[in-house]
Amino acid sequence: MSSTVDEHLRRLGSGRRSDLPETTAGTVRLDARDGAQTEHWYLTIADQHIQVSRSVDDADLVVRAERQVFDRIAGGQLHLAAALLRNELTVRGDMRLLMMLRRVFPGPPDARHPRQAAAARGGRP
Amino acid sequence: MIAGNTFAIGDAQGDMEADPGEPFGLFSFDTRFLSRWVLTVDGERLGTLSRDDLTHFETRFVLVPGTASHYVDADVSVIRHRSVEDAFSEQLIVLNHAAEPADLTVRIGIGVDFADTSEIAQPRPRSVVVNPDPARGVLRLRYERERFVRETTVASSAPVEVDDTGMTFRIRVEPNGQWRTDLRVTMTIGGEGGRDLRESLQSHRHQVRREMREDLRDWREAAPRLIAERPAVTELYERCLADLAALRYVPLAYTGRIPVAGLPWAMALYGRDSLLTCLQTLPFTPELAPRTLRMLALLQGGQLDDEHEEEPGKILAELRYGEAAAFGEKPTALYYGAADTTPLFVVLLDEYERWSGDTVLVRQLRHPARMALDWIDEYANLTGDGYLRYQRRNDRHGTANQCWKDSTGAIVDRHGREPGFPRATCELQGYAYDAKRRGARLAREVWGDPAYADRLEREAAALKSRFDADFWLPDRGYYALALGPDGEPVDALTSNIGHLMWSGIVPDHRAGALADHLAGPDLFSGWGVRTYAAGQRPYNPVGSHLGAVWPSDNALAVAGLRRYGCDPQAARIADGMLAMACTLGGPVPEVIAGYPRAQTAYPVQLPVAGRPQSWSSGALLMLLGSLLGLAPCGENLLVNPALPEGFGRVELLDVPGRWGHADAYGRDRATDGRSRRSPLR
Repeated sequence: MSSTVDEHLRRLGSGRRSDLPETTAGTVRLDARDGAQTEHWYLTIADQHIQVSRSVDDADLVVRAERQVFDRIAGGQLHLAAALLRNELTVRGDMRLLMMLRRVFPGPPDARHPRQAAAARGGRP
Repeated sequence: MIAGNTFAIGDAQGDMEADPGEPFGLFSFDTRFLSRWVLTVDGERLGTLSRDDLTHFETRFVLVPGTASHYVDADVSVIRHRSVEDAFSEQLIVLNHAAEPADLTVRIGIGVDFADTSEIAQPRPRSVVVNPDPARGVLRLRYERERFVRETTVASSAPVEVDDTGMTFRIRVEPNGQWRTDLRVTMTIGGEGGRDLRESLQSHRHQVRREMREDLRDWREAAPRLIAERPAVTELYERCLADLAALRYVPLAYTGRIPVAGLPWAMALYGRDSLLTCLQTLPFTPELAPRTLRMLALLQGGQLDDEHEEEPGKILAELRYGEAAAFGEKPTALYYGAADTTPLFVVLLDEYERWSGDTVLVRQLRHPARMALDWIDEYANLTGDGYLRYQRRNDRHGTANQCWKDSTGAIVDRHGREPGFPRATCELQGYAYDAKRRGARLAREVWGDPAYADRLEREAAALKSRFDADFWLPDRGYYALALGPDGEPVDALTSNIGHLMWSGIVPDHRAGALADHLAGPDLFSGWGVRTYAAGQRPYNPVGSHLGAVWPSDNALAVAGLRRYGCDPQAARIADGMLAMACTLGGPVPEVIAGYPRAQTAYPVQLPVAGRPQSWSSGALLMLLGSLLGLAPCGENLLVNPALPEGFGRVELLDVPGRWGHADAYGRDRATDGRSRRSPLR
């Protein structure tokens, strides 16, 4: 299932995210360049909740990339850390929040539970 | 020379030239930023009069033109004084000892291949753009792949001719005069707008040009002082502290210095090596532990990812920053293929609190610790029998054996047969047991969750008795190395039984049998416990995990033996390890061959063995701590020495912990009997 970053962030909802530590708090701005335009998303992370809005306010972490880079991350096709190392994505500010951002976006769509992978392949050495 | 994950390896003259067998050159963040750095005077290479390693980041060479056969009356000598920190600096001083002026051509040959550390044997050809700027005295070498940019900039303080392959100085040095230039090599990781990536990170803004000397002095002063009757032991202790200092780096995502695994192949964050190093060094350099825990918590797995072997709650195996990681040629941008790091994370968190009393950190890391504990049952119980198992999902680049014995053929029975996957190696069950017990303590005492604590304790107790029933080999009197997918035991005798004692999963009545195996002739070589006991078909004294001896492995065995009161066996093994390290001198190697000590009389080193290595340097500290019987007991430091015969007296002063600072004293039994001689100080 492929999705754009736009769809993904809209779908996030306001429910409790039990996968985020209670102690993580901060603001992240995503700047997605698309030709001459740049779209902004503003994520406020606190108390295991993520609030998404549109704002150009300064944030603890600012992440910039081409829109298609964000789309690939939102589709689970591009690894956030690899994108950073490749310089397809640039960051400014508190890198610790980038690590939390990894949990906001999904992993690869074809990923398996290790138990399922083990059962599927049998156990020959 | 080492400064975190930046390091330079060259020859005796200080020249560096790429070699397929060894990582020669200047490296940082998993990229080679200099593959050629060769000094000549009038076209001639230099010979070395002396080399002085001043600190881990600073070396001075005194050189003369020509080779050893004809330099005796040299009129010219060269001092090459270099250091690494965030950049590489080399000061060249040319001295003229003659009564006449000397006209000389001094040249530094410069080349960069920008190889990734994973491809040293065969670096791929890269097109490097070379940009000489003679007016500024600068040579720029740049590599680009899409937006990925790495750049080396060499700048000279003295006027210089610059061409594509180096820098040339045509100089005149007056009689008894000297000439000097400062060369500075900057390494850039391309980030936004052509600036270095690190410039935009909070974690790195404060780190630039921190005084390395000052840092080293602070490090040394914070650690306890050891005074031993055998001076070699004191020297070894100082050496290990210095090596641990060298092997600390500041990751991109975090501000504190944390341990890399070691030189030369593993100058990167490895979860297992870092966690064990922290566990080993808590009485000596406890500052490593909270930073490592925080960093690993930040990088904790959040989703399922087959390529990176990631699952929610899992703790990192390896982190790299090079081109191979960036482009997914290796899964090391964040690789999670290790089954032991996650329980060890919980073990370290608890052990650190027991030493430090830092309940604030335990509260802050409640969520990651809980995720780690949940991972054991949710993602590692692969066949549903309750054992922690591994089976890689990345068939191309994943590690087959995701335990500390991670070489491909390491998990085999006495006859050399490999079990199928998923595999449950025994020490993983010990770690899981320990993690649950320690998680229970934290839940009860810090997190205020007694119900969860009860549950973890019940699970740990059940695991302990199930483990004893399923892994114990009654005919052989030890625990199986592993269980195969259908629960069939892998019957080899291995050093892993030492890990079991360290983790506490062994019932008391079994301890004596295991101790006799560990210190017996098949496992104990005289220098240390072999990974795999002699007398079994796959045994090979030069096989990394099939007979060779690892200090880190031995440190856990000795701690385990003391835990169960098997003091003579503990002292015997520790004595062998100390003798090995003192005999070899220099940094403690990662592994030595498993030949019997009586046969070789000298510890045989293996070419694969790196040094220094964090968990080897840490291992020797842990051995000293175990011999002294250091343990936190409530708010006090407990000291319960059991020293090898002939060890003499030892004092460890200012051991840091929740008690502030406390001193520990010990003497071996033979010394106890002697009349007291003059004090050590």
